[in-house]
Amino acid sequence: MNTNLKISNVTKIYPGCVANDNVSLEFNSGKIYALLGENGAGKSTLVKILSGVIIPDEGKIYLNENNLELNSPSDAKKNDIGMVFQHFNLFETLSVFENLIIDSDEERESLREKIDSIMRKYNFSIDLDIPVLNLSAGQKQKVEIIRCLIRNPKVLIMDEPTSVLTEQETSELFLSLKKFSEEGILIIYITHKLKEVMQLCDEVAVMRRGKLVSVSEIKNENIESLANKMVGQNLKTIKKKKVKTSSDQLIKITNLNFTSEDPFETNLMDINFSVNRGECLGIAGISGNGQSELFQVLSGEILSDKNSIEFYKNYIGDLNPQERREYLMAFSPEDRLEQAAIPQMKIFENVALNNFKSSNFFNNGLINENKIKEHSKKIISDFNVNTDNIDLKSQFLSGGNLQKLIIGRELITSPDLLICFNPTWGLDVGAINYIHETLIKINEQNKSIILISTDTDELLKLSDKISVIHKGRLSKIMDSDEVTSEKLGILMGGGN
Amino acid sequence: MIKIVKRDQPSRAIFFFTPVLAIFLTLVAGGLIFYILGFKPFEALKFFFIVPVADMYGLSELLLKATPLCLIAIGLSFCFKSNNWNIGAEGQLTFGAIVSGGVALLFYEQERFFILPIVILAGAIGGMIYASIPAILKTYFNTNEILVSLMLVYVSKLILDYLVVGPWSNPEGFNFPETRQFSDSARLPLLFEGLRIHAGIFLALAAVVISWFVFYKTYLGFQMKVSGFSLKTAKYAGYKGKKMIILVFLISGACAGLAGVGEITGPIGQLHREVSPDYGFTAIIVAFLGRLHPVGIIFASLVVAITYLGAETAQIFMQIPKYTGQVFQGMILFFLLASDYLLFFKFKLIGSKK
Repeated sequence: MNTNLKISNVTKIYPGCVANDNVSLEFNSGKIYALLGENGAGKSTLVKILSGVIIPDEGKIYLNENNLELNSPSDAKKNDIGMVFQHFNLFETLSVFENLIIDSDEERESLREKIDSIMRKYNFSIDLDIPVLNLSAGQKQKVEIIRCLIRNPKVLIMDEPTSVLTEQETSELFLSLKKFSEEGILIIYITHKLKEVMQLCDEVAVMRRGKLVSVSEIKNENIESLANKMVGQNLKTIKKKKVKTSSDQLIKITNLNFTSEDPFETNLMDINFSVNRGECLGIAGISGNGQSELFQVLSGEILSDKNSIEFYKNYIGDLNPQERREYLMAFSPEDRLEQAAIPQMKIFENVALNNFKSSNFFNNGLINENKIKEHSKKIISDFNVNTDNIDLKSQFLSGGNLQKLIIGRELITSPDLLICFNPTWGLDVGAINYIHETLIKINEQNKSIILISTDTDELLKLSDKISVIHKGRLSKIMDSDEVTSEKLGILMGGGN
Repeated sequence: MIKIVKRDQPSRAIFFFTPVLAIFLTLVAGGLIFYILGFKPFEALKFFFIVPVADMYGLSELLLKATPLCLIAIGLSFCFKSNNWNIGAEGQLTFGAIVSGGVALLFYEQERFFILPIVILAGAIGGMIYASIPAILKTYFNTNEILVSLMLVYVSKLILDYLVVGPWSNPEGFNFPETRQFSDSARLPLLFEGLRIHAGIFLALAAVVISWFVFYKTYLGFQMKVSGFSLKTAKYAGYKGKKMIILVFLISGACAGLAGVGEITGPIGQLHREVSPDYGFTAIIVAFLGRLHPVGIIFASLVVAITYLGAETAQIFMQIPKYTGQVFQGMILFFLLASDYLLFFKFKLIGSKK
């Protein structure tokens, strides 16, 4: 049977922002639809409305001409709308089977048969009786999908499903989605990754600042045209000029190990690498393979053996971040809101977090507010942070502006080495471009970068050398000219 | 129709308005309780909140009770601002009283100018020693400071009990559970003839000024603020997290210890079983009612001190148990937590549309 889903004049207003501005869209089964937009464009709000998580201020949803009253996620389930969220909603310590039956009132036995037949049909192979925490991200996602399929959904919504998957897992997912679509399930695929839209979808709806800006067939679009629609301006492409880097070694990591007491952390095993001046070393990997631990070991949040880190002829493995900064190292952690900055504190107070002796932020134990403010103003103008009020709490900066502030704070002391972890995660294209340009500029000034990122495109664009981290081990270091994203994908998945 | 909406930014005005609202709601609820008990609500509230402070003696009593509350709450604000949940101030007060009382007893029947400073110092050190136990256990053995500090309160009370009944009891005291009277040199001077208010109030005021300075003007205060918001950020910035935890516990213990000194060397002048009517616990309410801000704590300690006095007056004039005071303290905390909802949400009138 044909399924028709209609969104009619949906509006949702939050204080200070219109998340959905009179959006109308129509979907028909048999096709895969992409909902494309930058972060904050309103696509998540729209699908949350479809799945009953958010109630719109105005507008109606029709499924096969029936007006749906979606006041809670269970209403959406009752109306055969299934959703797989970006972050998994699974109980890590329960078994796969227990996770699947948890919100169902069917008999255990018949459910088990149903699950088995779904898995046979779509070629999923997951052991139903092992705890979820033993599954890979791709398998966890399959569990979430099975959970939807049990209910024979008419509509399946996937919210940024590939952010945690390897290339191989992604192509498996795409095969499954195509199969679902052939069987008459209406698929709505939310993403900001243009390549995936081109690969997978039949139609694409682009959102920008809460408004629907275009609906078109994929065959009439290409990556550039979609990118321009998404951003609303013509993007310049940035490219790193390859220069011969020096052989002047700046940092050298030797036999670095880290064993964590926390079972949810990854142990680092036998890490060895070095970075020369003016070089950018990219470290690729799927999140959760030890990147966070590696960042902390490099920044000094986790101390290690003194001799395991050599920084320009000094052994600094046992120094804390504050002490390492004095050797001209700078750090930009992944988590902007919970680590790199404190949203409840003012902009200038956040600047003082990177306390460099020579910046004189604190004299004889007293706060030197004028100095900090002066410094903050310079960061804001030098790094294009879009505000003129340094007394503003930093929670009122957009993600892009906050990241510029953080990168600016780290760079204004002109460090020899910047270590950054997912510096453009969750940012819009404009801010990403700015950060990328900044990082390229650092290399041009003969300063070095260690870039830990889960974004392969970013790594290929910015790095001179690339290594892959998998289960706490680093692959051999490769020249980035000789690496393709396919090769990285294989290494990220643990292959050779 | 009234709709509840999330606030974009909690305003500064509402931050200080909600404690006032909480006090108002406490009065309303208190009046209601008195009404149910068969008293005239306004008259009862008058006995509770106005009669006790209507004369000089009353005001002196008010300041006398507010002094330890303020001192302890200032100390606690260091802990609470950095997310260290020290709720054992009562124990730190008791242990401070024990140590300073012990020193005062050493100088029994001696009159020397240096005795009082030593006694005061001993109290602060006693409080610090006692507070360092949960701090060290927390930093090095990952224990929960809430449980450890709370349980140590009862340990300290039992130690005090043992001392005043046993080895330190007054040989001429007819087996009353109390020590000898301290010599005058070991006592905080009274400020006015005939009133009980003593020099301990200056210790509290000094604590207010110093804590304000440390919080808002020093690198140390900045580090505490950052650690309070996010330990991850503190670690990233390179602050020494463990030292910071121990430090705030020591500050808080010292303040509680000083409050203990004030109690035994001020109005009481000896050690006995009950050196504090739970000031250490009540000060937690004071700290939060005062928004952990030095000036706010001054006001909050005065408000809460009234509940102690009011309870006594109410017991005398209305024959209701003095534990009503604790009911009021509980209500203040309850309404404060409830009205803090307004920090993050606001009510909005919207026209009903059809």
